[in-house]
Parts: sequence; C-alpha cells; structure tokens
Amino acid sequence: MRLHTRFVALVSGLGVLLYTAGATVGSAQETHIEGVTGHAAAGKKVYRRYCILCHGPDGDGNGENAQWIDPKPRDFTLGVFKCRSTPTGTLPTDEDLFNAMSRGFVTTNMPQWLPLSRQNRADVVAFIKTFSPKWKTTKAGTPITIPPEPTLTVESILHGRELYQKMECWKCHGARGHGDGPSAATLTDNKDLPIRPYDFSSGSRFMCGVTNRDLYKIFMTGLDGTPMPSFADDIKPADGWDLVHFLRTLQPLQTPEAAIWQAWLASHANELKPIGPPGTGQ
Amino acid sequence: MAKGSTRGGRSLRGSWLASGVVTCACLFGALALSGGGSKAYTAYSLAVHKTKAIPAFARKYGLPCSACHTAWPELNAFGQRFRDNGYQLMNDRDSPIWQNPSYIPVTFRMTPNLHRESATKQAVDAVPGDSTSGLVSKTITQSGFDLSGMDLWTAGTLYKNISFVLLPSSDNTGAFHFEAAFVRFDNLFSNRWVNFKVGKFELDNLISEKRFLFLSGNGGAYQSYHFLPGGDINDFGLGDNQIGAELSGHSDNSYTRYGIAVLSSTDGEVNLPTSQSYDAFFTFSHAVDAGKLGVERLGAYAYLGRRPTYYQTSDGVAIPGTGTGNKPFYRIGLAGDFFFGDFELLPFVMHASDNAFLATGTAANVALPPGARDARWNSGFVEAHYYVNPQFVVTARWETVRMSQQTDPATPNDLGNVDAYSGGIRWYPIMFSRAGLSWHTEVSAVRTRGSAFAPTDNVWTSSLFSGLDFDF
Amino acid sequence: MRIRDLLLLGGVALLGTAMMAGRGGRGGRGAPAAGGTISGKVTFTGTPPKMKPIDMAKEPFCAKEHAAAPVFTENVVTGPGNSLRWVAVYISAGDQGSSPATETVRLDQKNCQYIPHVLVVQPNQPLDIYNDDPHSHNIHPLAKVNPEWNKSQPAGAPPIHAKWELPEFIPVKCNVHPWMHGWHVVLTTSHYAVTGEDGAFSLQGLPPGKYTVTAWQEQFGTQSQDVTITGTETKTINLVFKATPY
Repeated sequence: MRLHTRFVALVSGLGVLLYTAGATVGSAQETHIEGVTGHAAAGKKVYRRYCILCHGPDGDGNGENAQWIDPKPRDFTLGVFKCRSTPTGTLPTDEDLFNAMSRGFVTTNMPQWLPLSRQNRADVVAFIKTFSPKWKTTKAGTPITIPPEPTLTVESILHGRELYQKMECWKCHGARGHGDGPSAATLTDNKDLPIRPYDFSSGSRFMCGVTNRDLYKIFMTGLDGTPMPSFADDIKPADGWDLVHFLRTLQPLQTPEAAIWQAWLASHANELKPIGPPGTGQ
Repeated sequence: MAKGSTRGGRSLRGSWLASGVVTCACLFGALALSGGGSKAYTAYSLAVHKTKAIPAFARKYGLPCSACHTAWPELNAFGQRFRDNGYQLMNDRDSPIWQNPSYIPVTFRMTPNLHRESATKQAVDAVPGDSTSGLVSKTITQSGFDLSGMDLWTAGTLYKNISFVLLPSSDNTGAFHFEAAFVRFDNLFSNRWVNFKVGKFELDNLISEKRFLFLSGNGGAYQSYHFLPGGDINDFGLGDNQIGAELSGHSDNSYTRYGIAVLSSTDGEVNLPTSQSYDAFFTFSHAVDAGKLGVERLGAYAYLGRRPTYYQTSDGVAIPGTGTGNKPFYRIGLAGDFFFGDFELLPFVMHASDNAFLATGTAANVALPPGARDARWNSGFVEAHYYVNPQFVVTARWETVRMSQQTDPATPNDLGNVDAYSGGIRWYPIMFSRAGLSWHTEVSAVRTRGSAFAPTDNVWTSSLFSGLDFDF
Repeated sequence: MRIRDLLLLGGVALLGTAMMAGRGGRGGRGAPAAGGTISGKVTFTGTPPKMKPIDMAKEPFCAKEHAAAPVFTENVVTGPGNSLRWVAVYISAGDQGSSPATETVRLDQKNCQYIPHVLVVQPNQPLDIYNDDPHSHNIHPLAKVNPEWNKSQPAGAPPIHAKWELPEFIPVKCNVHPWMHGWHVVLTTSHYAVTGEDGAFSLQGLPPGKYTVTAWQEQFGTQSQDVTITGTETKTINLVFKATPY
C-alpha cells in the first residue's frame, strides 16, 4: 500500500515537473519585455492592422505586397532573425524582436513601429512567435556577454583596422567599406535572393541599430539568414571594440572615432598598409 | 407617449418596454424630421470633400490603409509620425529616385451617395410662385442621389526631407479650388524639431476636420471650427485651410508635438483680397503610452487673428488687399485624443472672442453702436469611435456652441446657440494597399436658436446620408 | 519498507536500461557486421546536365591551385558506366535500431572547395569543420529544420565543432566564395553510404527484415526500392535516376 502510494507520488511529482518545464519552454504565447507582458491573442489583432500585407496571413513573408518589395519581408516560419543579442543559430530574445520592430530596418520597407504603444508591440511579438514551431521546442539563446567599451585610442582603431584586414571583411564590404568588395556582387541570402553588404560610406543606420554596442553585436552574433557571419569564434570579446572603433572611421559622420582618426592620419597616413588582397603591400 | 401603467408584474414590464421603444422611435424620428435654418444649405454641405486619405502612400510603401489610419482618413499614432516626418518612413528609401518609375503619387477621392436634407422654420412664400403672398414658416426637405466633391490629391517627397502636398479640390459640380498646396523642408539641421512649411495648409489641429469620419451636410463639419455669430464680418474658421508658413517639430515617436504658424489674414483666400496683416497660430500636444489602454494625447491651441473693418475705395468700390482698421479675434482651447482599447474619445473645448467692430460689422474709423461689446462664445464637442475591427467603425458626436456674450446687449443671450448630434458607421469591405472603399452611413442633426421669424425659435437641420466613399 | 521500495524501483530501472541496451544494434559504419547486406550501384538514364568549370578568379590563391586541373560544379557528377557520384544511399524504412554515432566526421574547406561534397552525419554526431586555405571562409548551412547559422573561419583558425540534431538535407554554402556548395545529410539510420566515382554502395549488418532503400541525389531527388533480408545474404539492387539536361 505504502509503496504504491509513494510510487504514484514520485511519478506524479515527476510528471508535474516535466509538464511545468515543458510549459515554460513552450509558452511562446507570451512575451515579457520591460515589465510589459504581451499575449499572442491580442497580438493577432495588431498583426492584422499593421503587418499582414507584407508578412502575410501565415507569417511566411508572402503578403500581397511582398512581390513588389525588395528586400523581401521576413519569413517568420523559419525562426531565423537578423538582429539578435544571442549567438548565431539561436533564437532571439523577446527584447531583440521588440527592439527590431521598434527600430525598423533602414533601406527596407520595414517601418519604425515606435509610435505603437509598448503593449501593442509586446503583443505582436508574442503573436509572431506562433508562426514557427521552433519557439515551442527551443528556448531563446543566451545573450552574448559584451565587455564594457574601453577608452577610445588610436591604437584601438589601428588594431581594429588590422582585424578588418585579417578577418577579410574587405572581401564583401570593400577596402574602404563601400560595400564593393570582390565578393559583394554575388552575395545571396538564405532564400537565394541578391543582397548587398552594408556600405559604411552611406552613414546610414546599421541594420540592427545605431550605437557602438549595436555594431558590436552585429559581427559577434552575425545577421542570421544573410551572408554576414558571426565572428564570435575568431575575435576576442575585448578586441571586438577595436573593430567597432575602426568601423566608425569608415562612416562620414562626426564621431569621436572619426575625429581621432583624422587627427592621426594628418601626420601618419603614409605608415598605413592598404587594405586588400595579400601582395598589395600587406 | 404611453408611460407604464400601475398594473403589476408582467404587464408593467411590458409597458415600460413599449414606452422605451416608442420613445427611441420618436427621438429618432424627431432628429430625422427636423427642419433647418439657412445654414443647412450653405458652407458645410458635403459638396466639398475635406478629408484626406491617400492610397498613393500605401502603394509606395506596401502598407495597408490600417497601418497609418485608425479608419481612413483618421490618422493613428503611426500615421501621425509618418506625416510629421514629411510623408517619409525615414528608412533612406523615401526619395522619389527609389520608387518604381511607374509609381503614381496621385490619389483621387469621391463619394456618390443618397441623402436627405431637412430644415424647419424656413421662410417660404405662402402661395408658391406668388412673391406677394407673404412669408410663412415651413419645413423644407430635399432628397435624392447625389455626388460629393472630389479631392485630387498628390503628396509625397520631392527629395529626401523635402515633402510637398498639392490638393486641387472640386465641389460636386466640378468647380475647382486649391485646398492645399505647400512645400515643407523636413528635419532641418538633421533635427526633427525643426520643420518649415510654406503654402496653403490645414492648421495643425489635434483633431483634424480634414481627416475625420463624417460626411453629411449637417455632420460633415465641426460647428466649433466654423461658428460665427450673426452679423459678424469675420470670416475665420479653425477648420479652413490657411496660407502662410509654419514651423513645427515632434519627438521621435511623435508623442510630443508643437507648431507655430504665421498666416495671412485672408482665411486662406488667394490673390491678396483682404489686408496686409498676419495671424498667428500656436499648438502643442503631448501623448503618453497608457499600456493596455493605448496612447493618450492632450493638446492646447491658440489662434490670434486680425481682420480689416474697411477698405480704401475707388468710386465707392473696395480695392482688394487694402483692408485696414484691423481688429483682433482669438480662438483658444484644449483638445484630446484618448484610447480605451478599441474605443476612442475625442473631446474638444474652445473659447472664442471677436472684437466688437468685427462682431457688429463696424468700420474702425466710425463709432460703434451704443453698448456694443466683443462677441464671445464657448464651444466644445465630444466625439467617440468604436473600432469593431480595422474595417468597421461606429462613430458618434455631440457638440454645442454657447454664446457667452452677445455683441448687442439687447440680443437674447441664447440667440445663435447650436447643439449638434451625429452618428454613423463606416464599413471598409476591402483594406489593402492599392485603393480604398467605405460604405458610409450617417445621421446628423443641428439645432440652432433663432429663426427668421422669432429669436426663440429652434431651427432643426438634419441629414440622412449613405454613400460609397472611395479613393484610389 | 523503505529499502524494499528502493530495490523495486532500482530493479525496474535496471530492467529498462537492459532492454534499451539490447535493442540498439551494433551497427554503424565502423563495425564489421553480422547480418545481411544490400549493395549495388546508382546510375542514370538520359542526358545529364553538363557541369560547368568554376572561375575562381575572385580568390587568386585557389585559382592558382586549380590552374592545372580546372574544377567543375558538382551538382551532377557522373562516372564510368553512367554512374552517379555523391548520392546518399540509406535505409529510409524498416531500420531496426541504429545506435548514435560517436566518431567525428570531418569537413575540409580546401582550395575553395568542400571536401567531401556530400557528407552524412547522424543526429548529434560530432562534425569538425576545417579551413585548410590561407584565407577566410564562412560556413553557412542553410538549414530549415535545424537552426541556420553562419560562422566565419579565418585561415589557421581551429576547427569549428558542429552537430545537427534533426534529420534534414542541409545545403551548405560559403558566401565569400559563391561557387562553394556542399551538403550535410543528417540521417537517423547508421546504415548509409555515399557513392564514389563508380556509383557503388554497400549497406551492411542488416538484421532480417523488410527495408526500403532510398537514394538521394541533390538535383534529381530520390529513388527508392524495397528489399527483404532473411539472413546473411547479400541483395544487389540498382537505383536508377532519370537524368535531364536541365
């Protein structure tokens, strides 16, 4: 009698534990962002009003207008997202999705949905997560650890320039970051559609933000679904900031990095080896 | 009307029900059958479209109408920001060079309809055709199929951060005028707080009459935006588009907005018809994110204007543009736009004052009639929308104008007072990015104090309207 | 009372483990197997598309390495006797239990090509990806069921340790070198082979039973055949694809 009841208790206890664990992983119907809880049912209404014509009623990026838009709207059924704080191949956090839709995507038809209330945005993020089964089976990735940004120095920029050469960023982004590298013209995304690398000389917002920290995350997590890979295995976390500082000098903006770089170039420009294929002075 | 009898139980309830039904029916009937004063057939008819929604934008950016509009043409928070940015999404793809060469930034809008207008206590010949038979008070009714005016609208960007609007608008006979035409320099000094607009444009009213959800003769305008007491020579209306220049700005999400405008004192008329003076308009609003309720916005405004009271003449004929003897007027108040989920409330209050010279039509170089005072009035409305879904909205409005000081002390205090009621539904059977269609049905009624016959008469003017409001 | 409970629970657990251990066959690629064999060749009829020579001018090092013997695209690689290379042949139905494979599979990026062009792994089998070239590659497996990732691998970097959890046919590309195409085939069965130049395959160590053998070729799709094994015999089958020029 006692064994039976204890056995039942153990099994039911395990069952409850498993159910709860499963439920936590599978609660893709809810999001939690900055103290706001979003619900997929409410998000469906928001989606109908704002999103459906591009992203489609099935969330596969095949809305009525998708055929006339380039780049194409995101296909939510794949569970692959560009702008994340999580490593390549993992799902973004709720905040990542919330920030991406609030910020919009420059050079695309994806607007900045910032004027929508935070509740609306949290709700629609919860709804978006219902389009891919991956949200039920996998948890979001763990956001990468970003060390604090070190002081900006010319040495940091120079080291970043070395990294730009060594990591061969120039192959796509070009020697001066104009998006005209040797491999730029043939780049395709995960749907085999042509795609261009970011042109730093445009000075426009990055695909995933405007700050140095946003830039850091871009090359340390990669833009999944695009040719832009993650360099997390190749660049030490602290060295990532050096690359950020150098990349800023490629933009025609009045940044502290550009100021220091221009000052240094005035007297040291001939010390630089050009960026490019080996044998061009490297 | 039968009130409930005192027989208990079932029959008592039945009697109350009967009385309720009869009351509602009579009320509706009263609204429908009300007559009208002279105002019903003049400035506020639906002959001219005053509302703006532009599928050209939807086509350009691939968004549905519902992305920018709560229910077109009324803007939502996202659409407000788009407009504030100079009709730009700010994704570096706004310059016309990025558009498909076959893209046409032109929209037209029109509403064929069936409507019925009615006005009580109108002055009519006792014997039709006999002008000597004397005038009697009668209710006049008109009904039939009709057209609205048409908007032929183009707007967008001439270049990144240079936007424009050109709106030739016609009445329902096809007679055109320019309702709006301006160039706006957006985000000057890369700063969204500095935008400069020059031309003819709608004042930056928080509650826009051009983009509201009413179309009928008696409901298709805000009384507050046009009311002037009888005998007043002022021609100003807050809802009339003005010509001038405007400096405006907004926060990143357009929750905080301001506008400062300098306008010619012509109420938007062209060819310099009045005087050389200018009016000023100030507006400021702030919105907060109220969580599940939505976005709540409150604003304040002030219009300070002047109008001439006499002109230089030649052979006794006034010379346009030489108006002088300017006397002031103002309109100040508050407006709000509050959301409670799918329910939207738009309250508005105004205090207005016209100088005694304007209110009595007296030239500034002669004496006022004895005892003449500034004309002052207060007005306000509460408008409600319920969005059943992005393609179906129910609307209602109650508005009132109350004279607080008649210019002539002998005039009854309540002469000219107005009460207006409106209700309607708009159903959008299609909602995508290429064109728009709405089946619009509306009932509106206005009661004005004072007729041609007696200052204590209540004149009712009313409209029943059902039309197909479409734009492409 | 307590000890008895524990003993009983322990016994149940032990029994369960034993049962599970017994089920997994000692199959897999490495072990010499008892049981039947299905072998044969993968061939084609019709006209296959012509493979195109690859111009590697964008990567001068690789262009130089291949200057003597140009490299061709690999979507349809044929061999003598109309054989097809790079076809994954595997048991798609009837598999009576494959144990998870633990040995590491290796993928090389050498002279701007994926070697091998098609590799097979089982779920969670370790896969090490090496960059043998003096310049960077990025590995971008275009998985749909598995997570899609994209990692850069500079010259001299340590191997990337990857694994795939779910069965899928995953195309892999390098964005920097657009001609580089390969496949990671994730199969639950340990009974598989990838054909060589001769188109031959051999699936060994199959217990008696009814099997469906499927051949997958990246351009032509799949061909299947049912085979029954009764003992330790070798059954020979031929899987034939209809080739079209485009």
